[in-house]
Amino acid sequence: MTAANTCVTVNEDGFRVVRVAGEVDLSWSQKLRKAILDALGGGGPVAVDLAAVSYIDSSGIAALVEGFQSARGKSQPFSLVSVSQPVIAVLELARLDRVFPIYPSLAEAPKA
Amino acid sequence: MSQRQLLGTEEFGVLAELGHAFATTLDINQTVRQAVEQIAIHMDAEAAALFLIDGNKGELVCRACSGPVDVTGLRVPRGRGIVGRAIKQNKVQLVQNVATDVDHAGDVGGFVTRSILCAPLSAAEGPIGALQVLNKRSGQLFDTHDRDILRLLAVPTTLALSNARLAEELMQRERLRREFQLARQMQKTLLPLRQKDCPVLGINIPAREISGDFYDHFALPDGRIAFCVGDVSGKGMDAALLMVRASSLLRWAGKEGLPPDRWLARVNEELCQTVTEGRFLCALAGYFDPETSLLEWSNAGLPPLLLRSAKGGYRQFIADGPPLAILADYPYTSNRCLLGDGSAYIYSDGATDVRGEGSEPIGIDGFQALIDQLVDLVPRARLRGLVSRLRGLHLADDTTLMLVEQDPEEAHYLAGISIGCDAHCLKLVRHTVDEQLQRLGMPADVRQRIVLAIDEATANVIRHAYQGDASGRMSLDIWRMGGQLHFVLRDWAREVDPSRIKPRDLNHCRPGGLGINLIDMVMDQWGFEAPADGSGNVLRMIKNLHEGERPCPQAVAPDTGEK
Repeated sequence: MTAANTCVTVNEDGFRVVRVAGEVDLSWSQKLRKAILDALGGGGPVAVDLAAVSYIDSSGIAALVEGFQSARGKSQPFSLVSVSQPVIAVLELARLDRVFPIYPSLAEAPKA
Repeated sequence: MSQRQLLGTEEFGVLAELGHAFATTLDINQTVRQAVEQIAIHMDAEAAALFLIDGNKGELVCRACSGPVDVTGLRVPRGRGIVGRAIKQNKVQLVQNVATDVDHAGDVGGFVTRSILCAPLSAAEGPIGALQVLNKRSGQLFDTHDRDILRLLAVPTTLALSNARLAEELMQRERLRREFQLARQMQKTLLPLRQKDCPVLGINIPAREISGDFYDHFALPDGRIAFCVGDVSGKGMDAALLMVRASSLLRWAGKEGLPPDRWLARVNEELCQTVTEGRFLCALAGYFDPETSLLEWSNAGLPPLLLRSAKGGYRQFIADGPPLAILADYPYTSNRCLLGDGSAYIYSDGATDVRGEGSEPIGIDGFQALIDQLVDLVPRARLRGLVSRLRGLHLADDTTLMLVEQDPEEAHYLAGISIGCDAHCLKLVRHTVDEQLQRLGMPADVRQRIVLAIDEATANVIRHAYQGDASGRMSLDIWRMGGQLHFVLRDWAREVDPSRIKPRDLNHCRPGGLGINLIDMVMDQWGFEAPADGSGNVLRMIKNLHEGERPCPQAVAPDTGEK
């Protein structure tokens, strides 16, 4: 059964964690984009938890790239954590798997 | 003594009567009985009997007698008694006093034998029995004249019996021939009728009158074609009867559309309960879906299924288990692959056991070489050509060939969907595409990529062609043509300039513009076509199935060539 599309931002372990679930496509990738940019607005380390993402398209990837570029411009820690296999597959296809800082879990993501 | 001197008018009369009776009889047993009675009367004997050699043991059995005691059916061991001696020496025995003859076997039923005259019945193939008369009436003794007369009477008796045996053998042979002919006709009725445009073709060449091989194919309500090929161990009528039973069982179990491994397991269970020990059945059973070209099968002891790609490469899929009727509860497994524009050859071992010029079996390599010589022919002509070439070698066993192949130009419609210009419809598009890809047995990673590419193309129409105009419509149709999947995306938006739609440089990390790259990487071909009617755009994306050249236990995925 496919999980409902959700995007929740929480404070956890010193991070602003954007926890995403469901199928990220054009219909709501803008919400993800806004959630990531809002999280980055706080100034602290941001992690996007993609464990429960069963599908992501290029518009979802674009939201992640935009967040990554915004964070880099401000030298703000930005990580993708617990990335699901469907997301990894698309990142590999787009040759972005070596561009993003990807960590197996939040505990391993850098705060600085 | 000349015959003229030997025979009197009476003897001539008896000989003539015997000859006439034997020549005109339709019931040799009754005639022999009458002849023995006549011989007893003519020889003035108290009793007479005709013994014939019975079966391989060489026992003598009394087939007709005349006298006070009925000894019909009496059996004398080979070589025993005066009758046995007559046959062994192939010489008339004249015993005037049996009491002094060590070979006398004794009397039966109170009849007292004093003297015996016994003549062997010798045919071209050797002795067949003996004719004997006992006790000359009025206390007289048999003499050499009697001996010569009995020897003479034995001649037409032998001829008649030999002829009767030959006639019986001929009748039996004819009966067998008719029975075999009927069995062959019945076997032929078990083979499926030729169906026009059916992608599954079969042919059976019996080595003898009847075959231990068979094949069958039939359509299932869901559109798939069920097929099977069987090869019963042994030859002859009992093998043919098992073949009839096995083919019926396979058809019965196959109608349920069970997965191939369970199909074979069910037939195996039945056969293990009923088949005589030592008999077994090699069989391959499966399904072909003409829409998707998905081929599924399970193989119990038949030679490897051969997959030939359109480019000429072969893959061999060895049997998934032992022949049926040997091990009850054997867990057979199934294979799946996308045939695309390739061909599947299924065959009994007769096809690979034929002897080539060096008198060695041609084997699978030789069989493949024969196929390669005939690839330019259409499927049915190719099968006939294979039969002709196999017959040109030394075909010693029943041989069955089955070919599964489709016209690569023929388009098979898989599914279609019409949606509005709404990003929320993308999920439905992805679901529709994934469902079809699952029908094709594709593994999850390949499905994911294709679904992504179609999603990207559809999202591009929504975002760029219609620019979010909610009144826009579009349709996606999925076709299979030979070894290719065609995804045709149609919209009625303003026409796009194809020259401006191309992949970007992925070395530049920036958001957006990835969609075309993903389509380009996943699909083998893509491009815009002019709509057949009206305005708008037609985007055709083509994915090669690659003739199922990448098998895995559950499915054979097309080799995408992607890393």
